[in-house]
Amino acid sequence: MNSKKIALLLAVLLMFAVFAIGCGDEASTDTLIVAQNSDADSLDPHATNDQASSRVIKQIYQSLLDQNEDMELIPGLAEEWEQVDELTFEFTLREGVLFHNGEELTASDVEFTLLRALESPDVGHIVGAIDPDNFEIIDDYTIRISTLEPFAPILAHLAHPATSILNQAAVEEFGDDYGENPVGTGPFMLESWTRGSELNLERFEDFHGESARMERVRFRNIQEDGNRTIELETGEIHIAYDILPSDISRIEGNDELQLARDLNFSTVYLGFNAEKEPFDDVRVRQAINYAIDVDSIINSVMEGSGEVATGPIGPMVWASNDDLEPYGHDLDRARELMEEAGYGDGFSTTIWTNDNQLRQDIAQIAQSQLAEIGIDIEIEVLEWGAYLENTAAGEHDMFILGWVTVTGDPDYGLYALFHSEQFGAAGNRTFYSNDRVDELLAQGRRSADPDVREEAYLEVQEIVRDEAPWLFLNTGEDRTGLRANVSGFRNHPAGHHPLWNVIVE
Amino acid sequence: MLKYIGRRILLLLPVLIGVSFIVFTLMYITPGDPAAMQLGEQATEREILQLREQMGLDDPFIVQYGRFARGVFTQMDFGRSYRTNALVFNELLSRFPTTLTLAATGVIVAVVIGIPVGIISATKQYSLFDNSAMMFALLGVSMPNFFQGLVAILIFSVGLGWFPSSGYATPMHMILPALTIGTSSAAMITRMTRSSMLEVIRQDYIRTARAKGQKESKVINRHALKNALIPVVTVIGLQFGYLLGGAVLTETVFSINGIGLLMVNSIRMRDLPMVQGGVLFIALTFSVINLAVDILYGFIDPRIKAQYK
Repeated sequence: MNSKKIALLLAVLLMFAVFAIGCGDEASTDTLIVAQNSDADSLDPHATNDQASSRVIKQIYQSLLDQNEDMELIPGLAEEWEQVDELTFEFTLREGVLFHNGEELTASDVEFTLLRALESPDVGHIVGAIDPDNFEIIDDYTIRISTLEPFAPILAHLAHPATSILNQAAVEEFGDDYGENPVGTGPFMLESWTRGSELNLERFEDFHGESARMERVRFRNIQEDGNRTIELETGEIHIAYDILPSDISRIEGNDELQLARDLNFSTVYLGFNAEKEPFDDVRVRQAINYAIDVDSIINSVMEGSGEVATGPIGPMVWASNDDLEPYGHDLDRARELMEEAGYGDGFSTTIWTNDNQLRQDIAQIAQSQLAEIGIDIEIEVLEWGAYLENTAAGEHDMFILGWVTVTGDPDYGLYALFHSEQFGAAGNRTFYSNDRVDELLAQGRRSADPDVREEAYLEVQEIVRDEAPWLFLNTGEDRTGLRANVSGFRNHPAGHHPLWNVIVE
Repeated sequence: MLKYIGRRILLLLPVLIGVSFIVFTLMYITPGDPAAMQLGEQATEREILQLREQMGLDDPFIVQYGRFARGVFTQMDFGRSYRTNALVFNELLSRFPTTLTLAATGVIVAVVIGIPVGIISATKQYSLFDNSAMMFALLGVSMPNFFQGLVAILIFSVGLGWFPSSGYATPMHMILPALTIGTSSAAMITRMTRSSMLEVIRQDYIRTARAKGQKESKVINRHALKNALIPVVTVIGLQFGYLLGGAVLTETVFSINGIGLLMVNSIRMRDLPMVQGGVLFIALTFSVINLAVDILYGFIDPRIKAQYK
């Protein structure tokens, strides 16, 4: 091959490359561009329960009820609701609500949706309290929904994006591909979706409420955490979710940017196996709470993200107990308790974690700090499936996990984790049991009176804090970076932030 | 020649079947329950069992493999992703142009830089140019792509604001990633071209060509280069094939939605159908590139072409 031929070949390849690159369209000024760290898995609310999908689903669909950023229940597709009896609520739907395909919302869509949700492995647990055999459609705009047992948090569950109302005709039309062809009643509808890359929503002009302020929303998938901050700085995106703690100062020090930083529903804890020696002794569990300097963990490993957890649920959850004191770092008290429990010379044990860097770092700090009261710890990193299986079977000593009270109702954050009927895979991996707690949790779940519920949950938190089945670590926060010209944005503590009121000026 | 190509294509089938079996077995014995992975931390045991059944994970190994292989080899049906329920084949196909563009531009950058620099280095061995070129080449080979990418973003996107820092929408988006990939491949090609040229230049027929008064440029370009190209073409082919499998780190750093990023995410989530489909796809492209390289040898060196008969 002579040099001319090589040159020709190169020229052809170059032309091909330029052609293949093609031309993309530039963002117009009426498009809000939002970056998150993952693409949505599916826009079928029953086929997924991941945060990235929920954040999009929230814009496309509506549920019967909604929760504002202060977690107050507000009307969604249901205009009004009232409790008919212990088990049953009656919902009056708005009239004239259109789905994106032009069909009108009726009560049968609600029944269809909730029955379908019950069948879903991804979100079944959120609607699990509903009695599938007892829907009662009174007319096109009135439906009664019953629970199997008295279940006061049902209204909060019906405000979760997983209970978004679907259109039966659309679901049946698209079958297996429904997740890519979502049809909701929300302020935005899907325009186009390049999997893994970007997802475009456009304003739904026949929306029954106040129209969205922006014509379009584009969700971009930028996995690399630092890159979201960079793109925000260079102005290629307007909003960046999940800003790294290490990038906080960069955003706060930049006049063109603003940071929305709010506590959310997530919590990180180190759990003890309360059925196993020596953690069956409350004094040992308390001693560990005293021995570990939680502040230092939050400041080093979590780079100051969120707050020290003082109890099992964070301050954003309704009926959280704000009077709880953190244990604080008190080595003398810790040694005293160990002595009283008969472990003055310490003992050997293990901490389990899964392949999660943050949790492994926490385990290492706990390891070194607990050595000071004579507890010799071996850290074991387990693969996720095995981790869940073995902690459910109670084979662990200590373990690190997180929990998100997605509904904002304390029942979701306490019942599964501390009720003695929920041992193992159901959620109570500490195998903690206390008759009074069981009783109060049942009361909180059954009672229709918010005051009674609140009272019960406040007491549960106090008992759990004192009996310490967990080392209470951290209440998480949402950090959203915004361009200075973006207004109308507020973090929603459940993570799926509403975007229809947001505008770029 | 055609007969040779036909035979090679037929040979692909057992290779692909073998690859599919190995990948399936590996994913099967790797710990990690895809159902538990998908449902996350708050799933109940009942939900995990329900999803396992839906996914057909409770069937014996051979039944699962049979179902997969039958779909792939008889109907080109790679199944649906566990995670997104999207058709695996469509997902791969939609990402292929991006990966192809990145790989092609990367290789072009590499060739445009690598071959000329290699030639000059060889003809001017131990000169200042040669030494500095070799130093940069060493740097290029040693420096990880993700680091180079981040440095490029910091300088050219954040600092100078010339190029967008991530994503892929316009040709401008492709420049930094292509340079990142291209420069490290270029380093390899430079070193290969140089050493191969050095070997050829010492041959008798080069001395003959010079002795008969041939112009130096012609000696190098026609007599030396052509014979030195065989190992270089091999390296280029390997690089191209490797990049088509997804330049994982570069794609991650620049948020380019190609095959590599898809594979990494799918492996992490134990999305078996996506991983199997992806690996088969990569194996296929790699084999095709290999075949193309073998055919190209024939054009470069007639002696090899003669063997294809």
